[in-house]
Amino acid sequence: MSYGTSNEWFPYYEQAFSAGTFSYRTGNELPDYEQAFSDNGVLGMQASEQKAIQVTDLTVAYQDKPVLWDIDLDVPPGVLLAIVGPNGAGKTTLVKAILGLVRPAAGNVLIYDKPYEAQRRIVGYVPQRGSVDWDFPTSVLDVVTMGCYGALGWIRRPGRRERELAMQALEKVGMEAYTTRQISQLSGGQQQRVFLARALVQDATVYLMDEPFQGVDATTERAIVTLLQELRADGKTVVVVHHDLQTVTDYFDWVMLLNIRRIASGPVDEAFTSDNLRETYGGRLGFMKTDKSDV
Amino acid sequence: MEDLGIFNHFYTLIIVSAGAALLGTVSGALGSYAVLRRQSLLGDAISHAALPGIAIAFLLTGSKTPLILVLGAAIAGWLGTLLIMSIVRLTRIKYDSVLAIVLSTFFGFGLVLHTLIQRTGNANQAGLDTFLFGQAATMLESDVLTIGILGGIALIVMLIFWKELKLLVFDEGFAASIGFPIRTLDILLTSLLVVAIVLGLQAVGAVLMSAMLVAPAVAARQWTDRLRLMVFLAACFGALAGVSGTIISSTASRIPTGPTIVLCATAVVGFSIVFAPNRGLVWDRIRHQRNRRNLKMETSRN
Amino acid sequence: METSQIEIQLIAIVTAVACALPGVFLVLRRMTLMSDAISHAILPGIVIAFFLTESLSSPLLILAAAGTGVLTVVFVELLQRTKLVKADAAIGLTFPALFSIGVILISRFAGNVHLDMDAVLLGELAYAPLNKLQAFGYDDLGPVSLYVMGMILVLNLVFILVFYKELKLVTFDASLAAALGFAPTVIHYGLMTLVSVTTVGAFDAVGSILVVALIAGPPVTAYLMTDRLSRMLMLSALIGSVNAVSGYWVAFLFDVSIAGSIATMTLLIFGFVFLVVPNRGLIAIARRHARQKWEFAQTMLVIHLFNHEGLPEAEAESAIDGLHEHLSWDPGFTNQVVRYALNNRCVSRKETQLILTAHGRTIAQKTLVQ
Repeated sequence: MSYGTSNEWFPYYEQAFSAGTFSYRTGNELPDYEQAFSDNGVLGMQASEQKAIQVTDLTVAYQDKPVLWDIDLDVPPGVLLAIVGPNGAGKTTLVKAILGLVRPAAGNVLIYDKPYEAQRRIVGYVPQRGSVDWDFPTSVLDVVTMGCYGALGWIRRPGRRERELAMQALEKVGMEAYTTRQISQLSGGQQQRVFLARALVQDATVYLMDEPFQGVDATTERAIVTLLQELRADGKTVVVVHHDLQTVTDYFDWVMLLNIRRIASGPVDEAFTSDNLRETYGGRLGFMKTDKSDV
Repeated sequence: MEDLGIFNHFYTLIIVSAGAALLGTVSGALGSYAVLRRQSLLGDAISHAALPGIAIAFLLTGSKTPLILVLGAAIAGWLGTLLIMSIVRLTRIKYDSVLAIVLSTFFGFGLVLHTLIQRTGNANQAGLDTFLFGQAATMLESDVLTIGILGGIALIVMLIFWKELKLLVFDEGFAASIGFPIRTLDILLTSLLVVAIVLGLQAVGAVLMSAMLVAPAVAARQWTDRLRLMVFLAACFGALAGVSGTIISSTASRIPTGPTIVLCATAVVGFSIVFAPNRGLVWDRIRHQRNRRNLKMETSRN
Repeated sequence: METSQIEIQLIAIVTAVACALPGVFLVLRRMTLMSDAISHAILPGIVIAFFLTESLSSPLLILAAAGTGVLTVVFVELLQRTKLVKADAAIGLTFPALFSIGVILISRFAGNVHLDMDAVLLGELAYAPLNKLQAFGYDDLGPVSLYVMGMILVLNLVFILVFYKELKLVTFDASLAAALGFAPTVIHYGLMTLVSVTTVGAFDAVGSILVVALIAGPPVTAYLMTDRLSRMLMLSALIGSVNAVSGYWVAFLFDVSIAGSIATMTLLIFGFVFLVVPNRGLIAIARRHARQKWEFAQTMLVIHLFNHEGLPEAEAESAIDGLHEHLSWDPGFTNQVVRYALNNRCVSRKETQLILTAHGRTIAQKTLVQ
């Protein structure tokens, strides 16, 4: 038993209350962004086009320590976007800020031109697998059904319709044989697929996934890739926090390079250059293939 | 005369058993959430922090009405929890240390107030003993009624917000992302826990209260992998411990009820950990040996 | 001051320091609640040893109770190792059960022995000087508990001084300690034995609930004041003494329980330190907040301008009238920040535009590089 190093004692409070962000933002008054941008082309895309996600000048600070500086990000509908950057670059924080889970000190986030609060129902979220206790007494089907809770609202319980939706989602990720399994009896990859299925049940238009490829087996990795492509084919927008630089070009069509600030974002062949990568990772890029520079 | 004595004894036993069963049910069910959130010892802190509340309620009202004292206990327990949460949020001090310091110093303050009351001659040491060890054996019909009503309300609220509380305990971040106010839900769940604790104080007292929250839940967890069944079983185990503890302590003189209830609950945990199917130690051993045998057979076949 | 008053304060100080020293390691190792568990769980050990020795301060009693304390730790760890019970639940299960056994033993045999439940739970410092050490033909060599706690304090000091390096390593990096061959388990159980012995010695004076305040209170307070282990140990000892003495005098003034009063002072002094301590205190946090508010806002503004400098959208992004919309700030606040940044020569005004000065550009670059 190692008390000294273990972080697992009472992790809940640390998580729940560490978000002591400080904010100067005014209430919910929303400036007319359409206007602000309509005359000026935004880097790498047409201004008139509607954005699935639009992050403008977003700064987030935990306590007094800034973790994101003045982030701009426009995600057009229907793209698979990877957010990459070194540890501590603020990737998870960016996702959480888009989801309204942390309050920004400055800047704004719009989902299809409206603030997140108004668009909750069209956004699906896959948290990091490690963020929950998988020993929780519940079944695979039950976890996936949680994807309906937002649509159900307060107090109403999931019924047969919700369970059917959950079953369909489980089939999509190849987990239909595990519906009654307790979630701790799953492998890491299977757990990840359960989380993906839960997001599918949300039937969202925009998906945010935090490290779905982390520590999964090859089968799961293939399943996730297929799923991502299906989602794109359906016109969904998917933002994925990703850590494997080798697979960015194969899996994604857009990329954002992040290290506290935005280094670059855009189509993979434009933004994923070795110059940008060097700027993102500093000198720590020895393991990267350098043949990306020719694009 | 003799018959009447036996009847009285029997009647008291039924009342006390009913009270202990109700308390076991409420604390077992709500304790499940505390255990799953790894807040098993929050109950210990809340129950100790309740003492100054009881003392202040008495100093302010001069009344010994259980309901007023329970209210004081609840408010103090609540403030203690709030203090714990804010210290954890504002400093780098870890949760367990904050629990320890709030628990012991609130209790110490309660003790100071208690000696003040004692000096005015309004109360005696018995009051403190009641707080520390409960007074299950002297429960009255009206006490049982109070426990039934307040505990029942707490359980109904828990059932109404079943889905939301489950989501809060399992995956807070996701809950927030789909629009549930986790702060509010957290406060709700903690309040339910406070209700269970201040009611339980009467039966087993502050020192042993944490066992009434933790033991039934841990035992129930061994038998099932479903939250619904776990909460139900924990409630049953809590009731079982309450009734059996009461009966055992009534069979001989000078066996205090509270500690006996706690030992019964602990026995249920011991039995569950050893014998529960799937998770239990015996089961584990059998599976282990079967695997080894299979492996041996396969290697010999090859 | 009467002799007994001095004696009580001496006992209180020695007890507080003896508790605070091992407490430092408990707090740092996130095992503070183990002291709560131990202090309750030693009850059956005390009771059984009391049956045998009929004295509350015999060495045998201390050994038996300390043994029970270590047994509690072993029990909690065994429970955890089954993986069926989480760490906090394992503690929450173990100590009430052992404590219950103790309570039942006491009430069953209460007639035969003179062991007061309240004395165990609450202690009574005021009576401590009454039990005098009698030896070598003298019948008053000072209170027994002063000797007992003094010896425990020396034991703790020696252990910490001898194994300082090992304790430090085990506390901050148990796996490294194991790799270097420092046997973290041995140090761990050594520490747990110390905590048990100290708890048994102290419960006589302050009881088993308030001993937790003595163990956890001073280290937690010191933790707000320093980052160095050696300083934290010294500060804990000092704070423990202050708690003890001030607690005694408050109790004396209001004629209330001494132990309870020491615990209350522990909370008050913790609260006071938490309020005023530099860096981590509430006031310091609030002041830093106020000071950094403008700095931070200015940096945000500078970085905002820097990010869009020279790009096609720069004109829209740096228009003074539009800034508050882009940053989602209150217009009044935005004006103040702009004025602040102008004063600091981070930005300059060019018609309707706000442009970076060389100084401002440096600030932005520096901030983003770190």
